Amino acid sequence: MIRANKNWHIRIDINSMAKTPPFSLISTKKIIQMNDVWTSYDSQSYALEGVNLSIDRGTNYAIVGQSGSGKSTLLKLMNGMMTPSKGAIKIDYLTPNMNNKKFKKIMHTIGYIPQSLGLVKNVSVLDNILIGALPRLNKLQSILKQFPEHEIQEAKRILKLVGLSGKESRKAYMLSGGEKRRVAIARALMQKPTILLADEIVSELDHVTSREIMNLVLDAQKKMNLTAIMVHHDMKLALEFANRVAVIKEGQKILEIGVEGDTIVDFQTGDMSIEEIMEMYNTDSKE
Amino acid sequence: MKYIPTALWAMLETLQMAFIGTVIGVVVGLPLSMLSARNLNSKYVYAPTRALLAIIRTFPSILWALLFVIMVGLGPYAGVLAIVMYTIGFVTKLQYESIETIDSDPMDAVSSIGVSKFQLIRYVVLPESASHLLGQILYMFDYNVRQTSILGIVGAGGIGFFIINYIKFFEYGKAAIFLVIVLITVLIIDWVSVKIRDKYIIKSQHGVEVKRKKSLFS
Ligand SMILES: Nc1ncnc2c1ncn2[C@@H]1O[C@H](COP(=O)(O)OP(=O)(O)OP(=O)(O)O)[C@@H](O)[C@H]1O
Ligand SMILES: [Mg+2]
Repeated sequence: MIRANKNWHIRIDINSMAKTPPFSLISTKKIIQMNDVWTSYDSQSYALEGVNLSIDRGTNYAIVGQSGSGKSTLLKLMNGMMTPSKGAIKIDYLTPNMNNKKFKKIMHTIGYIPQSLGLVKNVSVLDNILIGALPRLNKLQSILKQFPEHEIQEAKRILKLVGLSGKESRKAYMLSGGEKRRVAIARALMQKPTILLADEIVSELDHVTSREIMNLVLDAQKKMNLTAIMVHHDMKLALEFANRVAVIKEGQKILEIGVEGDTIVDFQTGDMSIEEIMEMYNTDSKE
Repeated sequence: MKYIPTALWAMLETLQMAFIGTVIGVVVGLPLSMLSARNLNSKYVYAPTRALLAIIRTFPSILWALLFVIMVGLGPYAGVLAIVMYTIGFVTKLQYESIETIDSDPMDAVSSIGVSKFQLIRYVVLPESASHLLGQILYMFDYNVRQTSILGIVGAGGIGFFIINYIKFFEYGKAAIFLVIVLITVLIIDWVSVKIRDKYIIKSQHGVEVKRKKSLFS
C-alpha cells in the first residue's frame, strides 16, 4: 500500500510482530469515507474541522472524544441528517443527504441510535421496534398499521434478544434508561441494517449493563455482518470492543488506532491515503 | 310545560348539527393542520395553507351561517356547513400549534430510517400529539354546541330558531324554557368532557395506568 508522504503512518506491535496484517489489508471495501469534512451549526465556529475517515465494511469502529468534541455531529453527517459545509462524504459510494433520492433509498440500511434515543413515548415497546420495519411496508399496510406476521415475529425475536421479554406492551415512557436504550437498539436492528451508528448508548450505565449491551451489539454485528460506528466517552470501553478507534478533539481527528485483541496493529494520524481520496471522488454512484 | 318535548327535540337537532359539523370539520382540518405545521413542511407548503386557514378564520360562524342559508336555503344543512367551516378555521390553528411543539428527537430518529412523510405522521406525529388533539376536539365540540344554539337566529336550524321567534313575539316565558334547556345541555356536555379528559388525557400524560402492588414493608 502506497501512502502519501505527508501522512505519518507507523505500525506498533505490542505482543507479537506482524501477527496479523493491518485491518486495511484484510478487506479493502470502503463503506464510509470522509475527506476534509468541515461543518458548523452556526456561522460562529466549526463543529468539525477537516476530518478524514475511511472505514472498511464489517469494521467495529469507535469514536472517542470529550464532550463537545464533535462526535454526535460526525454521526449526523453519516446518515444525512446534516450536510458538510466543505469536503466530501460517501456512504456506500453515495453522498448522504436527506434530499438525495438515491441516498434516501439506502437510508433504511443505516441504523441510527441517537444520543437522545428518539423513542416514540406514547407508544408500546413492540410498536417502537416495529418502526424499524416501516420502510418495508407498502402504502396500504402503513395506512392500516398492518405489519406482516413475519415482521411481528422478527420484532418479538429481537425483543427477546435485547432482553425485554414481557415488556412488549409497556409504553416507552414507562421504561428505565437502560431499557429505553435496548428498545432503541432493537428498533435499529429491526431495520436489518448494514451500518449501525450508535451514539453513546452505554454512557451513564453501570459496568455490568453497559458490558451486556455492548456484547449484544457485538453479537448482532457478527451475525448480520454489520459495520458498526459507535461513539464512546470511555477510551477503555472503545479499546475493549472496537477494532478501530478514532480520537476526536475539538472537531479534529487527532489519531486513529487499529486494535486486535491486545495488539495495536495500526496507528496513524488522521489522514487518508491518496488512492482512497481518488477513489472517493471518482465513484459518485455504484449503480 | 307542553313545550318541553319540542324544546328537547330542537336541542337534539342542535346537538346533532354540532356533532356532525365538528366531526367533518376535524376530518377535513387534520390534514390541513399537518400541511400547516412548520416542522413537517417547507415554507412553500405551510405558508399558503396557513393563509387560506387565516381567511376562513376571519368569518364568525354566524356569517358562515348567513352565507350558507343564502346558498343552500333555510334549515340545519346551512347550520352544519357553517360549523364545518368555523371548525376548520379554528381547530387547525390549535392543532398545528401543538404539532409544532412535539419533541423533535423521535421525528429526527425516525426520519433517518428513510420513512415516508405519511409514515412519519402516522407513526410519530399522531401518537405524540394524540392527547392534545383529542382535548382540542372535545373543546371544539363543546364550543360548537353553544354556537349552534344561536345559528337559528339567521334560520340555519337548531334551537336558536325557536328562541329568537319567541322573543320576537314577546313570549318570554317560552323563550326562557328553551334557554334553560340549552343551559342544562351545555352543563352536561361540560361535565362529560371533563370526565373524558380525566380518563384519557390526564392519565396518559402522568402515566398512572399500572397499579403498584402494596409492599409488605410500607
Ligand atoms: N443543534 C446544535 N446547534 C448548535 N450547536 C450545536 C448543536 N449541536 C451541537 N452543537 C455544537 O457542536 C459542537 C459539537 O457537538 P457534538 O454534539 O457533536 O459533541 P459531542 O462530541 O457529541 O459531545 P457529547 O459527548 O457531549 O455528546 C459543540 O460545540 C456543540 O456546542
Ligand atoms: Mg454527543
